[in-house]
Amino acid sequence: MRAAAIAAQKKLGRKTVVVLPILYPRELFTAMDVHTVELWGPPGPPRGPEAGRIQPYACAVVRNALAFLASGGADAADAVLFPHTCDSLQGLATLVPDFGGWKKPVLRFHHPKGEDRPSARAFARAELSSLACGLERLTGETLDAARLDAAIALHAEIDRIKGALLRRRACLDLDDPALYRLLRRGEFLWPEDHLAELQAAEGRIGKERRRRGVPLLITGYVPEPMAIFDHLASGGTFVVADDYAAVGRRIPLGPPARGEDPIGTLAARTFAMPPCPTRAAAPARRMEYLSALFRRSGAAGVIVHVPKFCEPESFDVPAIRRLFSGIGAPLLHLEGELEADLPAQSVTRLEAFAEIVESARSAP
Amino acid sequence: MIGRRVSYEFMSRVAVPLLSGAKGWRRRLLSRKGGRRTGPFGPPLECARKLKELTARHYLAGRYADGAVPVAWVTSGFPVEALRSLRFHTVYPENHGAICSVKRLVPELSEAVEREGYSRDLCGYARADLGSLAAGKTPVGRLPRPDLLCCCTNICQTVLYWYRALADRFRVPLVVVDTPFVYGDALPHHVAYVVDQLRELAEVAGRIAGRPVDSAGLVESMRLAREGTRLWDECLRTSLARPSPWTGFDSFFHLAPIVAMRGTGECNAYYRMLLDELKDRVARGVGGIENERVRLLWDNLPIWFHLRDLSTLLAREGFNVVCTTYASAWAEAGRRIDPADPEGSAARAYLHVFLNRDLPHRLSLMKRLCEEYGATGAILHSDRSCKPYSIGQIDLKDRLVEAGVRSLVLEADHADPRAWSAEQADNRLRAFMERFP
Ligand code: SF4
Ligand code: SF4
Repeated sequence: MRAAAIAAQKKLGRKTVVVLPILYPRELFTAMDVHTVELWGPPGPPRGPEAGRIQPYACAVVRNALAFLASGGADAADAVLFPHTCDSLQGLATLVPDFGGWKKPVLRFHHPKGEDRPSARAFARAELSSLACGLERLTGETLDAARLDAAIALHAEIDRIKGALLRRRACLDLDDPALYRLLRRGEFLWPEDHLAELQAAEGRIGKERRRRGVPLLITGYVPEPMAIFDHLASGGTFVVADDYAAVGRRIPLGPPARGEDPIGTLAARTFAMPPCPTRAAAPARRMEYLSALFRRSGAAGVIVHVPKFCEPESFDVPAIRRLFSGIGAPLLHLEGELEADLPAQSVTRLEAFAEIVESARSAP
Repeated sequence: MIGRRVSYEFMSRVAVPLLSGAKGWRRRLLSRKGGRRTGPFGPPLECARKLKELTARHYLAGRYADGAVPVAWVTSGFPVEALRSLRFHTVYPENHGAICSVKRLVPELSEAVEREGYSRDLCGYARADLGSLAAGKTPVGRLPRPDLLCCCTNICQTVLYWYRALADRFRVPLVVVDTPFVYGDALPHHVAYVVDQLRELAEVAGRIAGRPVDSAGLVESMRLAREGTRLWDECLRTSLARPSPWTGFDSFFHLAPIVAMRGTGECNAYYRMLLDELKDRVARGVGGIENERVRLLWDNLPIWFHLRDLSTLLAREGFNVVCTTYASAWAEAGRRIDPADPEGSAARAYLHVFLNRDLPHRLSLMKRLCEEYGATGAILHSDRSCKPYSIGQIDLKDRLVEAGVRSLVLEADHADPRAWSAEQADNRLRAFMERFP
């Protein structure tokens, strides 16, 4: 799918940049007419022996990404962008270009870590400008402020619809597998093409509740394997609230606040995101956010779905457990390794969890 | 408050030096006569006792610090100079984690937090620290409650997650000094970002201390930090001699002051003493091990809980670790500190910390160490619970081998013995040693 998307954009004369997780200022790329394709792994066994260059106690996301890049899986692309999401991705950002695995241009992007503060604001701006320069070098074009404004508006609309689909999913006549497939097509489609699909889906939000079953909140990293949603559905549950780093956590909490210029608007967007451990949001703020999400959505249980060896996500698990045990909500902690399919043991645990939540809900 | 202050000052300035002075007197007499040799090692360093005294004094004073002076818990690479000038008592949870590991307490402490949902795959220092809080257990008696948490990402981002959890627990401010990763040299806007954060730090720390950072005090602690770094570097460089007057494993213990007391006169006084002793040993041809035959480089953190056995195994065969990337890291970046430009130079120094730099820099440092110190072999400790240090080691090893350095990747953990098989590691080390003529 991703290869076909790259080929289609190449025909239109666009360059493609492969992007590692999680957050990046996609608006800049759109404004520079650069196509982005995200690399979340990919899931399944590593594509080639190069994964062995990283020890097995690092997460599958970086090991698989190394194997994929080094085996030529992304050779059709023109550059790679490494956001400095965590230690492991930071390691990959020097390992791959410096010691083998990728010979084309490399872009890097640092998010300010910690809470919003003046230094972080100034840095976000400077880092965005620096990335813009990198894109100018890659394309030979100059960033145009009006085009950046338009790209910001385009992505704000995409985010608005994504947010609406997630929030009002109980009234949407798409099941979870179809909804997540649609949302995640944004990882590789040209934004305008994705917008068209999203708009079509928005028309399918009705007034009536369409989803039956046990509503759940899901928090975690990336919904892989996607089969998790089929298993949830067959257990009589559905996802009513999403806090996946790859999905819900990338949708700003509100429309973009206008900055003094388009780069300022983009910099402000950095701080309008739901709290994420990879950017070191205060746990109290994150727990408040999750608790509000849980209440608002009417979820009856919580699934915490994190990759094994993922430090940023794993460090928050105890606080999440404390939070939901404090309000008496059943919680399932599922650790994954980016498998192509959900292991049988996880399937059993999901089924058992669905029963627990159901009986807790129907208890007087 | 006044009572606590008096106890704190008494403990840090009088009681511990007296106590350890009396205990050490007889042993010092013995060692002046040439000291006793222990196994395959040379006579123990006399300074080791002084180091114990320093550490004991620090931790004992810490028991009386909260309520007496402002207390900060600080990551090892944190730009601590502003805190020094405000007379904060600083606690280094990583150092505490190392002590827990040497005492083999980490499994018990880790289990305490694993019950809360922390994964066993997380950094062993973080688990030891959080576990110590959860279990209410520490080998140092008691750690003072922090008024401020200070976390710098120049060693890893793991400390962010760990200190966020601490801030949540203690409900005290967390100051983050975020240091973007350096490829080649730091970019100007990265330096500016750190400078801005240093100003924010000074403001928060000053608020907690109840007085602003005074610039003369700041300059003085920077001068002391630079001097301390230089002295530490000189201590390490005594290992250029053959035989090396100490082992790299010794240096792991003796780096505690440059990590935890950087920017103090006490730290520098200690290193002057250590340097004198090391130079004296070089002059007299006294080695860290008895029969130094092969010189090695060590990469990554120590395997704290197995250090003694490991060093004995190597020393028996005449193998001496004469240089380590870990100890050298503390001699590297501090050179950039310039009291004439406190903020800019501190920003550059703390950005260019070894673990915050790309792999080509790391490889060139390793090659340089091997060349300078005459190390013909390298042990790369692949540390299960320190991902930032470990990612890239497999390629580093291949490149060292290409450069003619026999190299071994040794799987272990710096803190937690549960994922470690001593027998397997010993076998691998024996096979590695057999590859040397
Ligand atoms: S899964 Fe976690 S550890 Fe792995 S790359 Fe993503 S954020 Fe980093
Ligand atoms: S051991 Fe590694 S992961 Fe842990 S605090 Fe130190 S640098 Fe960070």
